[in-house]
Amino acid sequence: MITIQNLTKIFRTEELETSALSGINLQINEGDFLSIMGPSGCGKSTLLNIIGLLDSASDGSYTLLNQEMIGLKEKGRSSVRKENIGFIFQNFNLIDELSVYDNIELPLIYNNVKASDRKLKVEGIAEKLNIAHRLKHYPQQLSGGQQQRVAVARALINDPKIILADEPTGNLDSKNGNEVMELLTDLHAKGATILMVTHSDYDASFSQRTILMKDGVIFSEKSNQRNVDVFKV
Amino acid sequence: MLHNWIKIFIYHLKQNKLFSFLNVLGLSIGIAGLIFALLYWNDEHSYDQWNPEKEHVYQVLVDIGEGQVWSDCSLFLKPVLDKDTNVESIMYAESWYQKDKIIYNGKKEFIDKIINVEHDFFSFFPFKIIKGDAISALKDDSSIAISDDIAKRVFGDENPIGKQVKYLDHRFVVRAVYQIPGNSSIAPNAVVNRMKELTATYMTAPFAFKLLIKVKDPLKIENTRKSLEKLYNYDFIIRVAKEAGFTPEEMAKKIGHFTVFMEPLSKARLHSVADGYPEGRGNYQFLLIMMSLSILILILSIVNYINLATANAINRAKEVGVRKIVGASKGDIIRQFIFETILMSLFSILLALVIVELTMPHYNNFLDKNLVLLGNQFYLQLILIFIIIVLVAGIFPAIYVSNFETLKVLKGNFGRSKNGVGLRNGMLIFQFAVATFFIIGSYIVYQQVQYLSNKDLGFKGDQVISVPLHFPSSDYEVENVGQHIYNKYTIIKQELSKIKGVRQASTGLMSFDGSDNSITPVLYNDELFKVKSIALDFGLFEMLNIKIAKGRNFDRKLASDTINSVIINETALKLMNIKNPIGKEIIVGNKNLKIIGIIKDFNLLSPEEKVPPIVFYHLKTVDIARNIDKVFIKLDSDTMENTIADIEQFWTANVGNEYPFKYDFVDKEYARTYESYVKQKNIFLLLNVVVIGIALFGLFALASYSIQRRMKEIAIRKALGADTNMLLRELSKQYIWYCMIGFVIALFPVYYFLNKWLENFAYRIDISIYPFIIGFLALMVLTLIVVLSKAYQATKVDVLKYLKYE
Repeated sequence: MITIQNLTKIFRTEELETSALSGINLQINEGDFLSIMGPSGCGKSTLLNIIGLLDSASDGSYTLLNQEMIGLKEKGRSSVRKENIGFIFQNFNLIDELSVYDNIELPLIYNNVKASDRKLKVEGIAEKLNIAHRLKHYPQQLSGGQQQRVAVARALINDPKIILADEPTGNLDSKNGNEVMELLTDLHAKGATILMVTHSDYDASFSQRTILMKDGVIFSEKSNQRNVDVFKV
Repeated sequence: MLHNWIKIFIYHLKQNKLFSFLNVLGLSIGIAGLIFALLYWNDEHSYDQWNPEKEHVYQVLVDIGEGQVWSDCSLFLKPVLDKDTNVESIMYAESWYQKDKIIYNGKKEFIDKIINVEHDFFSFFPFKIIKGDAISALKDDSSIAISDDIAKRVFGDENPIGKQVKYLDHRFVVRAVYQIPGNSSIAPNAVVNRMKELTATYMTAPFAFKLLIKVKDPLKIENTRKSLEKLYNYDFIIRVAKEAGFTPEEMAKKIGHFTVFMEPLSKARLHSVADGYPEGRGNYQFLLIMMSLSILILILSIVNYINLATANAINRAKEVGVRKIVGASKGDIIRQFIFETILMSLFSILLALVIVELTMPHYNNFLDKNLVLLGNQFYLQLILIFIIIVLVAGIFPAIYVSNFETLKVLKGNFGRSKNGVGLRNGMLIFQFAVATFFIIGSYIVYQQVQYLSNKDLGFKGDQVISVPLHFPSSDYEVENVGQHIYNKYTIIKQELSKIKGVRQASTGLMSFDGSDNSITPVLYNDELFKVKSIALDFGLFEMLNIKIAKGRNFDRKLASDTINSVIINETALKLMNIKNPIGKEIIVGNKNLKIIGIIKDFNLLSPEEKVPPIVFYHLKTVDIARNIDKVFIKLDSDTMENTIADIEQFWTANVGNEYPFKYDFVDKEYARTYESYVKQKNIFLLLNVVVIGIALFGLFALASYSIQRRMKEIAIRKALGADTNMLLRELSKQYIWYCMIGFVIALFPVYYFLNKWLENFAYRIDISIYPFIIGFLALMVLTLIVVLSKAYQATKVDVLKYLKYE
């Protein structure tokens, strides 16, 4: 689904060139649940942002659904983004001025979904994520876990091909964090493709594969064999 | 502390160079506007304020009905006034200045503003006497008092007292030199006392001279007024009834009712019902318009200031938070922000003074005044403006900032706070409303002035010049003056028509500059009508392209046309309601005249007024040729300049070079009657630009800040896939709403006030839908340009910057 070859990202300032990514090769298949780990500044977020078309690469190739993304104009990127990609952020990035319902509805509006369908879909997903009773509230009135569930709902509402999660549990306590991770595992079990950046080994253990990055290169990749202990809380 | 405040103030000034500059500029334009209006206001309100007699000197005005108020009164009022115990003294005077040459030692000086009054003029207008004394200044008809300027012009360094000058072929001795202490309703350059010869002749005329009364107790003025009104409505009517052989009741019905007004000098300039004094009235309506518009503009720029200050305050929230943590009290913060407003206001006032000083000549030219940036009153007002601006513009943002919650601010999630947004948007709507008012208003004013200048006036004056004609005073001292003057005029006319390029020359006792306000009683079927009567020479109607509607024009071959023929205009015909008018007789003055034609109405007065009813007869019909004072000359259109040069040459050689040759095109002369409205249109257009500029700047600044505030939201939306068009729509939506709300709010005021203004005109446009449509579109387009340019910038930003770091 995603093929990345020799991807390079260089930040330039007047005096200094820093290469954030140097020659990344990565293959993500449909149904994968992949996590990227590594110390601060290793380039994992940059990679995620390039995959999410929020940032552009300096060199290399990135194909999404057999379509080359490098060199795409802003208009093309925004249309690829709204059709295929769902975002979950560490700090939720909900619009404070809009209600939960309106926040979840946004991607549908940008994808020109009819108003009546939008209502059904929002209510449906809110039901699934157990936030239906909160639809009329504003983000500031919710707990962190609830806010992240809203963000997940927003990411999922449009049935994206891939979900990009940037430290989804970073701002949550362990209980809420666990809930979110179980949500993602659930989604994965139902066939969603997920790419997650995380600091936490525990979170990474929910995924199938973990990529370790350092100084802009991928230096190891391992498969996780997770045995879910059903008796553990 | 001050040092610290100044440092941070300068830092912000440097950070927001453009906004700071525009803010100061906007504020200073607002202040400059108010300064202009205040100078005008002070000047108009200073008229006669220096005069200690201003509450005791009254002018007598008579309303003769149909909106005609005359400032001339009869001499038969004098005996009653002399007996009135409340009246201290009375004075008759000529209502208008004379303009003539004064000869001293063979040297001629043209002096305008010479007034003819009675001997105690200086007790009504106690000018400062520099030389000589007030009591003997006008003691007899050979005394003259002159202003210090004229003294300098005529006599140089000599002492003028006791010197002899010649004026109107009489010898005068200079008895006093005076200085006028301030604006005065009568501000002559020279004063003479030649009323005696006039008062002897016009004893019985109902309206002869200006009458000023000095009363002892202004509260008892009503008694005097009533007794004068009785003289007109009772004694006068009985007398004329007897003369005409009617009963007084019949006569009263014909003449109508007279209403006498007594107006104190203090009201003469701005609140008078008539142009009673030679300096005329001030335009109070225009004064109010200027004043309110300038206040409106100042409010607009203060609103901008507040908007920017509160919006900007968000960027300074952290500074405020830190200051509070290290020990600043709320009062300290308020003082700091007021201090900044004081600095900004000072800059603005200084800049405003520079703007005023630089543009003052244009403004003076526009108002026809001589205003200067001086005067204690003005300085006080300036300080007052400063204090008000600081209070209004400073206190609100200061309190707003000082109320920031320290903890919230320092945690950093303050940039998106909604504090003060409602208020700012409210002010934005107000600005939109004001801008709407100006756009639509100036468009309507423009339409009306355009309408006036394109209106069919009923005459064509672009090829016709009018040349003032002066004969030496000796020509008026012969027997049979009328015939003599008429002959002289005829010779000039014949000579003129020999000049190449002159098609025709003629005369008429009328002028197209709107100054003519005479009225003549005309009787038809024993019913009296007050109409205008104009004596003219053959050919004038053709020259001016005035069309005959019925009957015929005056014909020089018919002897009767110089004896008993009259032509009336359509309005007069309608007024007198004559069926089959041709051949009917009317009595004009005391002559029976036969109607030979009806002419189409043409405009003679300013377009504020309706075409008056007019009767026309030949100069010789009534012995009135002595009043000939101008020649109308029609020129060939292709050689006009040469022809005028030839005429000038002829004129200087043959008519006399005592008075310089002057001419004026009739259409231009007429255009001057509504010149003040053309000026109003121009100033409205100028203010329009200023207001729209200020409002758009306000919008730009506010949109910048509010979009800045929404950057994170924009980034999220972008991450979710919103494309540029959607974002632009999202960002500009609210401003389009505000624009529309502002527009709707302005609708009623603009309709109401512009209708009021249009009521000035007898010939006016109706307010149509177009100014509103055009105003709406203009406002919308300007709004969109500003907002979209700003929003477009916003959509181009780096999404990551706002998603990552909050």
